[in-house]
Amino acid sequence: MRKQDLRRLADFLWEIPQTYRDDMRVPARVYTDERMLEQIVGDRSLEQLVNVATLPGIQKYAIAMPDVHEGYGFPIGGVAAVDAEEGVISPGGIGYDINCGVRLLRTRRTIAEVRPELRKIAHSIAREIPSGVGRGGPLKLKGNDLDRVLADGAKRAVELGYGDAADLDRIESGGRITGADPDEVSSDAKQRGHDQLGTIGSGNHFVEIDVVETVYDDDEAARLGLERDRVVLQIHTGSRGLGHQVATDFIRRMMQVMPRYGIHLPDRELACAPIQSPEGESYLAAMAAAANFAFANRQIITGGIRRAWRDEPIEIVYDVAHNIAKVEEHGGRRLVVHRKGATRAFPGQPVLIPGSMGTASYLLSGLPGAMEQSFGSSCHGAGRLMSRMRAKKEIDGHELRQRLERLGIVAEAASTKGLVEEAPEAYKDVDAVVGVVAAAGIAKRVVRLVPVAVVKG
Amino acid sequence: MFEILHHTADVRLRVTAATPEELFADALQGLMAVMHASATPGDRRTESIALDSVDVTALLVDFLNGALVRASVHRRAFTGASFASLTETHLAATLTSVPASFDEDVKAVTYHEAEVQHTEQGWTTMLVLDI
Repeated sequence: MRKQDLRRLADFLWEIPQTYRDDMRVPARVYTDERMLEQIVGDRSLEQLVNVATLPGIQKYAIAMPDVHEGYGFPIGGVAAVDAEEGVISPGGIGYDINCGVRLLRTRRTIAEVRPELRKIAHSIAREIPSGVGRGGPLKLKGNDLDRVLADGAKRAVELGYGDAADLDRIESGGRITGADPDEVSSDAKQRGHDQLGTIGSGNHFVEIDVVETVYDDDEAARLGLERDRVVLQIHTGSRGLGHQVATDFIRRMMQVMPRYGIHLPDRELACAPIQSPEGESYLAAMAAAANFAFANRQIITGGIRRAWRDEPIEIVYDVAHNIAKVEEHGGRRLVVHRKGATRAFPGQPVLIPGSMGTASYLLSGLPGAMEQSFGSSCHGAGRLMSRMRAKKEIDGHELRQRLERLGIVAEAASTKGLVEEAPEAYKDVDAVVGVVAAAGIAKRVVRLVPVAVVKG
Repeated sequence: MFEILHHTADVRLRVTAATPEELFADALQGLMAVMHASATPGDRRTESIALDSVDVTALLVDFLNGALVRASVHRRAFTGASFASLTETHLAATLTSVPASFDEDVKAVTYHEAEVQHTEQGWTTMLVLDI
């Protein structure tokens, strides 16, 4: 796709008209600035977004957020809302890491208090919380333990001694998606996730210690218990192998039944089935179970952080999912909103935007404009710019570690390869990404966080 | 043979081979390479796998995802595959594996861009792996 295939609707909004391709059911819209648009047209993000616009039952527009980048099937940073009665559910529109999300925790200490012990604390977190490939978690599940986690999410983790009931009030959907059915999760998926509760995994997942560097909205920050120099932590991970296998199982199953429903799509990875079909209902029940696994995972990891923090009070600020489908009402209609690399941003809701390990992250607050423009959705991160392969070729691991040191950032990474792949230059400018959603009236800035320690696989 | 190529967030794998059997076996080795499999001490083992899919492209993706779940759960790397049967929609194979550790977490082999083609040069496909 070329830039001239898009028309500018507003300062930060471009549209690919429905006439671009015969099979589009709605136009496609992209929130971005001009500079990032040049990057976006450089990969296949927009072709993938056009494919999303062909989904049966899609409403208004297929939407890309400014952090959009090429994925498979859906682009990462995509939103698609479909009619809950007549539309389809596409597991690829949620992705393989169901309920990958971010949790923000606040400590009661300032950076001046923490700085002398920072290396020790980061090391303790790395010791408490397994990361990387193949490392099991602290829970030894027996009998129907896993099914109870799948049914009840973070609530079950609290019952097992990880946190207390007050934590649940600060998690999207209370840390439990209703309608979860553990029986819809295959034995392969259960085996794949069996020992992974309480683990971060690898790739772009991490635990990060940050400092509140800038407060943009004093009232909102105070309501969330945040002020300048306060030390906070972010957890970024999801449903691990269990969620990956649920997606694999259902994409395969839906691909097999699509002809029965007369559905033809330009990309098999968009495989879908009517929401009101046995396959659609089964997927939603399995997806909810995997989402609950992810909520429990972040709750158990929070327990590890609390132990590493020597049981000083650490409270949850908020926890959001950014790979999920939700049944919501928009404009008086029941819709299923697919968010793949996109965050719910209902008015007043905290929106967590992790950046890269050397730049910054944001806490935003959803605005009414999100309901009007993007089905209550915002961006989810900085957005990847450089392939992992290119990052490994171009970035020197030793130099990166030294650079992070100079910036005062402690890196507890099991592998230099993992660190290099996630280097700041592999990502878009998070300030620019957040600038777009703020200027578009989707979400407002509350605080900007800067990293002081990163723990990853 | 397989070749690992750029993708903004994930991994592209191009596989080419003289026969469909080789294509499937080479794609499996490509998956193990992306996972950075390293053999650990222990016994070599064989196991059988049988699958039905809607066409040969889906059959390849489903075969690789079947191997991926076994590799992830049992922490074994596949070192070989021999096919008793391989048609457009069905396969029966014996896989050889050794205990292994992995340094890359592959979430899934996707159907995106996958298309098994028979050309003058042989059999080929692109694969996108979610990592």
